[in-house]
Amino acid sequence: MILILLPLIFSIIAWIAPSSTMRLIGLIASACSLVASIISVSFFNPTEHVLFDLGVQLVRFSMDSLGYIMVILTNAVFFLVFLSNYYNQIIGHRRFTALAFLMQFGLLGVFTVNTILGFYLFWELTLIPIFMILYWFGSFENSRVLMKFFLYTLFGSLAMLVSVIGLMQITHQQTYDALLAADLSTIGNAGIWLMGGFLLAFAVKIPLFPFHTWQAQTYTKAPIAGTMLLSAIMLKMALFGLLKWVLPIFDGIATDFWRWPIITLSLIGIIYGAVIAIRHQNLKTIFAYASLSHLGLITAGLMLQNSQTNEFAVVQIVNHSIVAIGLFMAAGIIEQRLKTTNINELGGIAKVAPRFAFWFAVLTFISLSVPFTSGFIGEFFLIKAIFDVHVFSGILACTTLVLGAIYMLRAYQAPMFGPTKNEKFLDLRWSEIAVFALLSLAAIYFGLAPKCITDFVAHSLIQTTH
Amino acid sequence: MDSIVILFISGLLGLFVGMRQQTLLSLIIALGGIILAALAAFFREAYHTPLANYSNYIPTPAYVIILLCFVTLLAILGGYKRYSQDKDHIGDYFSLILFSLCGAIMMVQPNDLMLFFIGLEILSIPIYVLVGIEKGSALSAEAAVKYFFTGSFASAILLFGIALLYGATGSFQLIEIQSNLAFGIWSSPLAIIGSLFILAGFVFKIGAVPFHFWGPDVYQGASNAVLMYMSTVVKIAGIYAIVNVFGQVFRDSYLFWIDLISIIIVLSMFYGYITAWKQNSFRRLIAYSSIANAGLMLLALANTQNSNIFLFVSAYSFATIPLIIINNVANSDDDDLKNWEGIAWKNPLIAIALVVALFSLAGIPPLAGFFGKFSLLWSALPQIPYTVILALIASLIGAFVYLKLLLLALKKPSVQVKQSIPLDQIIALLITTMASLVALYFI
Repeated sequence: MILILLPLIFSIIAWIAPSSTMRLIGLIASACSLVASIISVSFFNPTEHVLFDLGVQLVRFSMDSLGYIMVILTNAVFFLVFLSNYYNQIIGHRRFTALAFLMQFGLLGVFTVNTILGFYLFWELTLIPIFMILYWFGSFENSRVLMKFFLYTLFGSLAMLVSVIGLMQITHQQTYDALLAADLSTIGNAGIWLMGGFLLAFAVKIPLFPFHTWQAQTYTKAPIAGTMLLSAIMLKMALFGLLKWVLPIFDGIATDFWRWPIITLSLIGIIYGAVIAIRHQNLKTIFAYASLSHLGLITAGLMLQNSQTNEFAVVQIVNHSIVAIGLFMAAGIIEQRLKTTNINELGGIAKVAPRFAFWFAVLTFISLSVPFTSGFIGEFFLIKAIFDVHVFSGILACTTLVLGAIYMLRAYQAPMFGPTKNEKFLDLRWSEIAVFALLSLAAIYFGLAPKCITDFVAHSLIQTTH
Repeated sequence: MDSIVILFISGLLGLFVGMRQQTLLSLIIALGGIILAALAAFFREAYHTPLANYSNYIPTPAYVIILLCFVTLLAILGGYKRYSQDKDHIGDYFSLILFSLCGAIMMVQPNDLMLFFIGLEILSIPIYVLVGIEKGSALSAEAAVKYFFTGSFASAILLFGIALLYGATGSFQLIEIQSNLAFGIWSSPLAIIGSLFILAGFVFKIGAVPFHFWGPDVYQGASNAVLMYMSTVVKIAGIYAIVNVFGQVFRDSYLFWIDLISIIIVLSMFYGYITAWKQNSFRRLIAYSSIANAGLMLLALANTQNSNIFLFVSAYSFATIPLIIINNVANSDDDDLKNWEGIAWKNPLIAIALVVALFSLAGIPPLAGFFGKFSLLWSALPQIPYTVILALIASLIGAFVYLKLLLLALKKPSVQVKQSIPLDQIIALLITTMASLVALYFI
């Protein structure tokens, strides 16, 4: 329980602490959360559930192994965000640090809450801080893009709210276990509509194909720390909700109804995202569409609902966080030093900054899912599972690897090699090297031993599959 | 009985003190009266009307009276800066507000149509005066005349409805009317027309479409200080009255009027929010937002067994009052939205209060506004699902409106000017913000 409240306490501390100490506070406090969660997981028995609450009836918490993975991932992401931006202007602001910790609190709540209403509350709570961060620190010359982001998400959330109320009123239950046990087969088509409300919210957040239009614009205009938070951890809320809440609860008619529509949209997203990424000139936009493409594969895998794909989807979720932080950090480094991320204006950076070129290459290969990295094993099993069910879909899903190679190598090659257009380029600082090294280590470790994740989450995933 | 008597006496006292132009003493008397009235209601647990002596008497729930007193207290605190500038009339302001609060307390009692009408008049007449109290301003005079004429007209229609209902059932008591109607008098055209007239009168008072037209002009003409009282207490009293009458008396004809109410809800919300989008004047924006919120409040009628309006009206009041206070800081007596640009940078308290209030009005959890909306939707969804979904879409537009205001206020100015706020407004802002934040613990 203290694990969840820690960020809230840090947020309050950041509001009142003097702003000269803000950098250190951000770094140390996020490291504290990370260490606390790692210590706490070492005492945790993956087969059990730990229940607790904060005195509010409607919001109760439970810790299971899936929740633990997400909690550690969240804490790690926040630590890396603070570390990677250590020399940036943004970390020095009290507002950023306080809001980021508030957001961390919301995210930890989403991943550990045990009641359906609590899930909605924390889901929305994360929206306020990220909105303020984007508004204050982003380069939104006119606020249209930001409004679009906020209203897309709010629209999805309201649909989810109707579904939450409907679900609670039909089943008269609100805790996770009771909802799992509740028999929804009797309500017939209403279940399809209720699940549709949830799916709409998730589709906006993930994002799935027709609901993705906020993504690239927001990522490009957002401050780099905000983009990292959005893509590395906020989008995972939707996948987590799908995996833990929606698919198990609506198991049966509703899931069968939505399975193929969602998989189709995901496959369209995989190819569409990749094709757009190939055509685009802006590094941040390329990475945004790459994210659309990668997440499509995870969503398609989750919709298949067998225990193996679920486990490897979790591996892939972790992997995507690693890739997202690494790539957006690289884009951020280029943007900060050269004030542009357009690949036509970049070139020959490898000559002036060899260390950056090396680590960027490592990250590029991780995102290409080279064997022995975490991406390979995850993508391999997800694609295999889709193949087993439907061969043609499997072939389409495979294109993610080929197309991914095209846009990633292009995004790497053009700025790094080619004619030198940028003479001055400050090479990496210690904090940036540390982030890249940690990410690469994690990716290789999980690539060699994905079992440490899959076995750990298997216990809590057992009850999510039939 | 105690609350009304205490309020009345402290109102009279305030008049005498006001003659000597002692502003602080007037404030203390007014606040003391309100706090004592709330305490009296709290210790009596339920409020008994002095004028009625019924066999089957339903007491007014104490928490409603406490909410009315509390909101009035905040409105007086927030407006004190403006009142104290006008030393000649300081006593008038406070006394009129206290008298009007007496009317509001009479209006929320769930027993008697006649008492309820008297309460409505006691509530309204001081407000007509308060709106027009700035004698120099043409806008204020126009607003007062408009409000007075339309308001009297609505009262007349309401009274006509009450008379028709009396003709049909032979009683003013809500319980008796209900039991008489249950015997099949619903086929009587008198009762049906009477109920429609009563509905029209009510809808006028809370300012929902199609009887909303007075709202924007009156809100614009009134000063910020009066608006704080007017936009909150009148709505609370009106919606409680409507829930009492329609939830209780006309329960058996639910299917007859619920469609009408649904249409009013949807029209009010869409009209209010869409029109608010294009406003350049803050008080007009608040007026249209209050039209939309009146529509939302009417959702409470959908479930007559369990109408859960308390959370929503308190959340609405605790979000509207800080906004008007901030407008007072930004604009003093003016209400141009241009002056709102960068207002959040003038004072950290303003920034926090503004963010909390606007997100609360937009209905983002975990703020009070969300729980208010949630409890309304919760009871209404099984009864009128399509209306609820339309209402949600409208509140998405509403989020647009509030967000636009928020972005305007958060825009970083080129030159930062610090501005201090007087102590009474700081207290009001702090209380409302805390109330919006801790709502989670009261559900």
